[in-house]
Amino acid sequence: MFSGCEDPSRLDGGAWLLCYLTTPTHQSFYLAFGTVLLLLAITAPLSLLFGFGGALASRSVIAPLRWLGRGYIAMVRGVPEIVFFMFGPIALDQAFEYLRHRVMCPDWSEPVRRGNDFVVCTAAKLPLNADPQWMHEIYGFALAILSFAIVYGAFCGNTIRGAFDAVPQAQIETARAYGMNRRQLFWRILLPQMWIFALPGLSNIWMILTKATPLLFLLGVEDIVYWARELGSAKTRAYSFPHPNWQLWYFLALLVFYLGLTRVSEIVLARLNRRLNHGQATLAGSGRMAAGR
Amino acid sequence: MVLVVMLWLSVPDFEHSVTTTDKCEMSSSAASSPVIALHGIRKSYDRLEVLKGVDLTACEGDVVSLIGSSGSGKSTLLRCINMLEISQSGEIEFCGDVVRWTGEGADRLPADRQQVIDMRTQLSMVFQQFNLWTHMTVLKNVIEAPVTVLGQPRDEAVADALAILKKVGIADKAESYPAQLSGGQQQRAAIARALAMKPRALLFDEPTSALDPELEQEVIRVIRELAAEGRTMVLVTHDMNLARDVSTHVMFLNEGVVEEEGSPEDVFGKPKSDRLRQFLHATSQTPH
Repeated sequence: MFSGCEDPSRLDGGAWLLCYLTTPTHQSFYLAFGTVLLLLAITAPLSLLFGFGGALASRSVIAPLRWLGRGYIAMVRGVPEIVFFMFGPIALDQAFEYLRHRVMCPDWSEPVRRGNDFVVCTAAKLPLNADPQWMHEIYGFALAILSFAIVYGAFCGNTIRGAFDAVPQAQIETARAYGMNRRQLFWRILLPQMWIFALPGLSNIWMILTKATPLLFLLGVEDIVYWARELGSAKTRAYSFPHPNWQLWYFLALLVFYLGLTRVSEIVLARLNRRLNHGQATLAGSGRMAAGR
Repeated sequence: MVLVVMLWLSVPDFEHSVTTTDKCEMSSSAASSPVIALHGIRKSYDRLEVLKGVDLTACEGDVVSLIGSSGSGKSTLLRCINMLEISQSGEIEFCGDVVRWTGEGADRLPADRQQVIDMRTQLSMVFQQFNLWTHMTVLKNVIEAPVTVLGQPRDEAVADALAILKKVGIADKAESYPAQLSGGQQQRAAIARALAMKPRALLFDEPTSALDPELEQEVIRVIRELAAEGRTMVLVTHDMNLARDVSTHVMFLNEGVVEEEGSPEDVFGKPKSDRLRQFLHATSQTPH
């Protein structure tokens, strides 16, 4: 990066370290922190949306919708995340390609599945072979996000469904007694009260989600764990910046990052919890919880 | 109409009871049909029959009190009026508008959801456990239904609400949350919420039973005021003094039937049935 870095073997001390820490591979490492944060920033609201949809569907009066919601929550919750992450993106990818294949190449006569191979017409490939590399990366990342959202959405769904059920019947009955219709009752009473019960569960899922980001590595996205392992391993003389095994230091950096993320999350969630419980007949609302801590 | 009602009342128990529509013309206002009229209401949970054909009439300005021991069906009857409980047979009439039903017996449901909603907006209920919406301040509790359900402009609703809160004596608690108030204050807030709907009638479901005697008085004072204003009310209560003082008509329910009813003077002063005498004795209201 810096002009003095061309010949690292002549550098020493601080200058060497500065040049070492700004190599292109290290910049990819730093960028990977952004990738993780981006994944969280997109996955969290998307999971919440999936969960909300799942919870509403599972509480629906329409039977098929209810089965769909319950089936989604039960199935995804019951399958190990790792299995789902291995399976999810491949299945999603093939599903998208197959649908495009049916629409774009109706004349195609050969079977799509041939033994272990999955072959669709060139036009149906996602992304197209001709597309630039960054398109492929974005597509992979998008599949990863979708898989994360489906898995954590199911957990959110179960939490939100439970929270809906925890709203006292008397609150609902009163709303009905005052002439609220179903929609008014939902938006004005049920939903705002539900959050108080959902927040502890949802904050748990958020913490699990932040810790699950290294699984990105499984999905072929080069995340911070991948880079820490890669960069930290011992480098021989063949490299421009030879060094012994420094993985400990790299993983220590990850530790600090995740601890920082945890701390920030805790502060934000505690503030949210305080706000939701303000004036409520709960331990948190009475302010006694803080005293007990 | 009167004839139909009279035919309905073929049950012998009701021969002596003061009945129905003609009473409305005798009492105060010009309204010819009663605000609330129930005819032969029956309700059971599975095999347990809670109401065995009950009639009730509340004309404009009437305060009808329902008394009786726990499990006599008085709260259930009250909740049948605004259809929080669905009665299995019998008719419900509100300001001359008869509730339309679909289905029979245990499957009976109101046929017209909008009719039920319209009725409920004119029939405010006050609950034993106050049931203020816990996530809203007192002021928001009071303006919620007028704004959301009736579509009243918000600033207008706020002005009304503050006036009503002042009237029930908790204007300074407008910005408090229910959990921050005493039981008596919560119940007064709940009454304010009921009044904000400008209802045709108020339904009170044991409004003082969850309060200790000291706090009870502040709520009773408000209820007395409302009765003195000539508001139409149906009141389920364990407080015999309250029933005696505010009622225009008292009904004693026993095991799902109206055992005895009449003016408070008659019911409390000259109880006819043994069951009522027992009940009044047990609640230390010896006849005098």
